[in-house]
Amino acid sequence: MWKFTVRRIGIMIPQIALLSILIFIMAKMMPGDALSGLIDPSIDPATIEAMRDRLGLNNPWHIQYVDWIKGVIQGDFGQSFRFKMPVTELISQRLINTFWLSLATLILTYLIAIPLGITSGRYNDTWADRLITGYTYVGFAAPLFIFALIMVWIFGFHFGWFPTSGSVKPGLSPGTFEYVLSKINHLMLPALSMALIATVTTVQYLRSEIIDTKQKDFVVTARAKGASESRVYNRHILRNSLLPIAAFFGYEITGLIGGTIFIENIFGYPGMGQLFLESITLRDFSVVTTVVLIFGIASILGALISDIILSLVDPRIRIK
Amino acid sequence: MVGKKSASKVLFAVLLVLLLALAACNKTEDAKPADSGDKKEEGKKEEAKDDGLYSIEDFSNVKTNEGEAIEGGAFTFGLVSDTAFEGTLNWNFYSGDPDSQVLEWFDEGLLTWDSSFVYTNDGAATYESSEDGRTFTFTIRDNVNWHDGKPVTAEDWLFAHEVIGHADYDGPRAGDVLNIVGMDEFQAGTSDTISGIEVVSDKVLKITYKEATPSLITGGIWTYPLAKHIFGDMPVKDISSSPEVRQKPIGFGPFKVDTIVPGESVTFTKNEDYWRGAPKLDTVTLKVINPNVVVQSLKKGDVDTVSDFPVAQFPDNADMSNVEFLGAVDRAYSYVGFKLGSWDKEKKVVKPNPDAKMADVNLRKAMWHAVDNDTVGKKFYHGLRWAATTLIPPSHPEYHDETNPGTPYDPEKAKQLLEDAGFKDVDGDGIREDKEGKPLVINYAAMSGDDIAEPLAQYYIQAWEAVGLKVQLLDGRLQEFNTFYEGVGQKGNDNPDIDVYAAAWGVGIDVDPSGLYANNVLYNFSRWENEENDRLLAEGISEEAFDVEKRKEIYNEWQQLMSEEVPVFPTLYRAALVPVNNRVLNYAIGDGTGIYRSDIEVTADKPFADK
Repeated sequence: MWKFTVRRIGIMIPQIALLSILIFIMAKMMPGDALSGLIDPSIDPATIEAMRDRLGLNNPWHIQYVDWIKGVIQGDFGQSFRFKMPVTELISQRLINTFWLSLATLILTYLIAIPLGITSGRYNDTWADRLITGYTYVGFAAPLFIFALIMVWIFGFHFGWFPTSGSVKPGLSPGTFEYVLSKINHLMLPALSMALIATVTTVQYLRSEIIDTKQKDFVVTARAKGASESRVYNRHILRNSLLPIAAFFGYEITGLIGGTIFIENIFGYPGMGQLFLESITLRDFSVVTTVVLIFGIASILGALISDIILSLVDPRIRIK
Repeated sequence: MVGKKSASKVLFAVLLVLLLALAACNKTEDAKPADSGDKKEEGKKEEAKDDGLYSIEDFSNVKTNEGEAIEGGAFTFGLVSDTAFEGTLNWNFYSGDPDSQVLEWFDEGLLTWDSSFVYTNDGAATYESSEDGRTFTFTIRDNVNWHDGKPVTAEDWLFAHEVIGHADYDGPRAGDVLNIVGMDEFQAGTSDTISGIEVVSDKVLKITYKEATPSLITGGIWTYPLAKHIFGDMPVKDISSSPEVRQKPIGFGPFKVDTIVPGESVTFTKNEDYWRGAPKLDTVTLKVINPNVVVQSLKKGDVDTVSDFPVAQFPDNADMSNVEFLGAVDRAYSYVGFKLGSWDKEKKVVKPNPDAKMADVNLRKAMWHAVDNDTVGKKFYHGLRWAATTLIPPSHPEYHDETNPGTPYDPEKAKQLLEDAGFKDVDGDGIREDKEGKPLVINYAAMSGDDIAEPLAQYYIQAWEAVGLKVQLLDGRLQEFNTFYEGVGQKGNDNPDIDVYAAAWGVGIDVDPSGLYANNVLYNFSRWENEENDRLLAEGISEEAFDVEKRKEIYNEWQQLMSEEVPVFPTLYRAALVPVNNRVLNYAIGDGTGIYRSDIEVTADKPFADK
């Protein structure tokens, strides 16, 4: 087990190093830079050029890369050109928001997926199952950003149940109970929008697993031994069907990254996804590279978590 | 027991199904208003045939006051942006518009200006200029204090100049203080002080400028002091990222910053000690709202007003019952430019190319005659943008030459001009060849952006084709902002494939256009040079131009010259619209209205919602 984990981490390091170079080159290949947006006749172009020099934007890319990676190894991701503050500080502000959003989404995803998947698998080909599969098809087809806009319109504006933008009500002081409540209130709608779409894969997986397992010999045996129907389902079928779901958990994290980019922009929720997109359009390179690096590491870690979970729950695939 | 458990699970599942069904129902419900919205639009279009057009003249830039004000009240301002605001909350360091929207509430310049952008003596400081117009004496009012109670002093004002001129300064304003005597020595490090700035007393500052120009009193003075008692001991390079700029910024404006959620919202409370007198409102909340939800937020009364309203959405929302739309002529114009040369990076001057594809002035003029900007404004912008005539927009009413008709839409004249200039259709395919009879294909660079960008670019291409010119989009597509300006020459590496480009300029409060059209400025993207132009631009900021009448004359002549030479031609002027909730009193947009943020009042506890 430990051997396996260590080996996987060993592979991760060159993966991340390669990733960082790729990201950096691609970021530098984008036309324009962080100061392009300052095009304004009242600002002297010579001033902008001097700022470029000071920020090292005129150096060749490999020198810039070495400068950057040197800092990264020491935990210094550089300075955001746009926010004029250390990237580490900026990202830690945003990362917390995204962390809570992702956590809420994950919880909601499973909260929706597991009962729906069980119902649909256990009572397959009933009206309930058809309704649920019907929903999953709609979920597969609906683009997240359109769906999220509709959610904002209905629950944010039409009913007014949820706030429509931001991560917390202005004017509350951090740490108070009210502040926490407001935070939760603000992330409910984005998390729900994302969960309702993200959950459909899991529902489908669970459904087909349960239907599959239902016909397995050991279930027949369990029934023959006189186990009650709910015991058969809860102890024998469900446990075995959850296996692939558990394995899927790590990849779910990767999916969330893609989702937050849309969701955070629509809900004006200042997290990593929003930061990522605006840093690209404004060419805030140091932020872009760091965010992508973090996203990349999160994906790699997600895959690792999946493998570890899988090897925990299924001894057959453990590497010796 | 076990049975119960599973039953409750099923129940839960059923509840969730119902929830989804509800969501699904709502989806269809959602479709309805969208439909009716479409219908409304159709209805509007029918009206538009007789008079569905809007005109900037129908809008006031000052809110009509209805109702009795309540004591105090809370005001909500929506900062429309799809990005978070940067949070560099100090006038001396900020670089983006979102930050300036936040700054406006709690800090201000020491001088204010009137509607023709000339500094007045109504602000926090008054000024007097010497006989030769080079030396200015500023007196800060006695009751102007920072939010922490310390007085705003001449020393603070000097300090702002010293920081901006410092080698470690990381904001974009270094160019703004260059005209001060002794600044060069200070920047070069050969002098510790700026010899042109003298602190006469606590509240009196004297600045001597190198050159006296009329631009000085229209935005040429740096009027934002920097609190020395706070930033004085800080290394200059650390100021912009310090907590005193980012988390608890300080100013001397009508409101004090209370809390900041980075990138998302700011709350303000009133500054009882404000020099104009305590503001009427108790608190102000500023929050960032995504452009997608501006209309809904306004309708619901989530915000009292917004920083910016998408003009394209105005016709559908003109009848919003809970707001009044204020309008002003935007300090900006759209234009089409012709590439006539390149940028000489060493000498830092334009290098015109007499053999450029667009070098023939008649070709350029014909292309101006060929486009019907009046119709563009009506069809694409419902009259809220309109045909431009000269390169000084009507936002500067004193200098915009109304009598100059520009070059009106006249395709026949365009054809005639091309014919006479030798651009003839030799092979009879309906497309003109160049003077030597070789095929002429003009590359057009246009920027991507809103929904109108693509059809607008296509319209221009068709209009030019109608007079026999083959124009094609550069690379067959619209260019993204950075790519576009890179190619046009923002860094001096002009893309030689671009012949024609469409862009827009925001105009500063000073009318002087040399920042865009002089032969030694990078932003002269058309890379055009002309002696007459040099002369007029120099005269416009010379001493004789202190006489407004004389200055008008010079700029009228310049506008005419640009119409004749056509290195670029203006296409559209634009209106800026801002909706304001009906409960708000004393609100205005634009310059020199004499209505300040401390005057804002409200007539109800909460913003009204749309019926």
